[in-house]
Amino acid sequence: MNESNPNPTVYPSQTAADLPPPPIQGPRPLGDDPTEREPIPNLFAAIESILRQPRRLMFQLRQPGAGQLIAAMFFVTMVCSAIYGVIVGSFSGGAQWWAAPVKISAGLLLATIICLPSLYIFTCLSGAQARLIEILGLVAGLLMLMTILLIGFAPVAWLFSQSTNHLAWMGALHLIFWGIATIFGLRFLEAGFAHAKARSHAGLYTWSIIFVLVALQMTTALRPIVGTSAKLLPTEKKFFLTHWGDSIKAATEKSPDPVR
Amino acid sequence: MKRPLNPPGRTNNPTGYRPNPLMQTTPAPTREGKFSTLLQAESQTIAAWTKDWNARRVAGHLGIIILGAGCFGAAMGWWRSPEQGMFVAIKFPLILLLTTLGNAALNAMLAPLLGLNLSLRQSLLAILMSFAITAAILGAFSPLLGFLVWNAPPMTPDVKSTATYGFIKLANVVVIAFAGIAGNARLYQLLRQLASHRRIARRVFVAWLAGNLFLGSQLSWMARPFIGSPQLPVVFLRADALKGNFYENVWSTLVELTRIDD
Repeated sequence: MNESNPNPTVYPSQTAADLPPPPIQGPRPLGDDPTEREPIPNLFAAIESILRQPRRLMFQLRQPGAGQLIAAMFFVTMVCSAIYGVIVGSFSGGAQWWAAPVKISAGLLLATIICLPSLYIFTCLSGAQARLIEILGLVAGLLMLMTILLIGFAPVAWLFSQSTNHLAWMGALHLIFWGIATIFGLRFLEAGFAHAKARSHAGLYTWSIIFVLVALQMTTALRPIVGTSAKLLPTEKKFFLTHWGDSIKAATEKSPDPVR
Repeated sequence: MKRPLNPPGRTNNPTGYRPNPLMQTTPAPTREGKFSTLLQAESQTIAAWTKDWNARRVAGHLGIIILGAGCFGAAMGWWRSPEQGMFVAIKFPLILLLTTLGNAALNAMLAPLLGLNLSLRQSLLAILMSFAITAAILGAFSPLLGFLVWNAPPMTPDVKSTATYGFIKLANVVVIAFAGIAGNARLYQLLRQLASHRRIARRVFVAWLAGNLFLGSQLSWMARPFIGSPQLPVVFLRADALKGNFYENVWSTLVELTRIDD
């Protein structure tokens, strides 16, 4: 095989205008796809968008009048967390049928209120050009995605709730589901944050750790959520790791055979 | 007809597309816009702020200091008692404001001596801005500190030997250090914007920082207690607030530590 070509093709000299455009730095701008610009008409479209077209939701969160969309996302979050709370409460029954949904919804909201100011500060310090309402919208997206995923896990959680009486095991299962949902929620937040032109994501990662710790501590501060107690809220203050350790110890001592 | 959750607005564009506000280069002249400008590294804008005395802007910075540092102080003292929280909510912003005012003349003199021709107003506004950033960060972290205190067991006589006390103290120190570093980093960026050379900006920054640390430490020492102690009464200032000073105490501690008993 002879590679030499006696009549090589002569290309015209390339000017700057002929050269291909340089690769776009960072993520693709939001709204460059026309489907991302379609308004979100209702709650179901918002749910579908966050699962299938998160960029559409991110784009709409940056438009004027996004407050209504954010309120709707918080509404979905409250409803979904309450539904999952009913599943959590079904393990113990009694007062937990209503106490667990109320505590899970209120705890999630309270953790968000506690952590939101620090997220805003971290966002500003990282040089990101995002307004408070956009950050609120991204957090609403984080919570909505988390709770929608929890609804997806709900049938599995319910099945286990009905087939075991091991408190620590059920608590661990709910934590695993919550952990998976949180990872996806935080991924959405990071994707949204990437469009805010931040110089660094270090603040966001630090905030993510703070959010997870606050949410975990909230489960201890509002206990019991999975189990039962004579009082609705605890009188003794505990760190969540201490509480988990005590719960595992108590459950093991009470029920050597974890299978009902 | 159902209204969409995000109505497209009054536009003839059938897709409802409007330019992305994040792509705009001019910051929105809102209160939030000014606040975020303060926190972001927009040194050029902040340098322009120091050139004229805008009473509303100064009042805004003072408000941020009072509110932000006050909320953090309240969360810090709340563990001992609500009354202690109220006292610290007053003391904490006072320390920042008294440090700013106490060193105003000195800082204004040091800047031109070290090569940066700033007026008293400019140096005062620059330091007020850096403390406003610090206070804003402290304020943003106050719900977290409040949550930490809410989850802590009540103070007991032996509280200082417990892990909870150590953890809360550490959390306070970490947040204050982070807020202080962020505020001073912005101050340095501003000085870099105002000074012709990096060397001059660094000199002025170090001089200001040293002066503020020196006065701030003593003011903090006098304003004790902050977290409080269950064995001591809740007071605004301790009876010995004006006896001795911070550096004297550090010195006597060092002497104690290095003393070799015969």
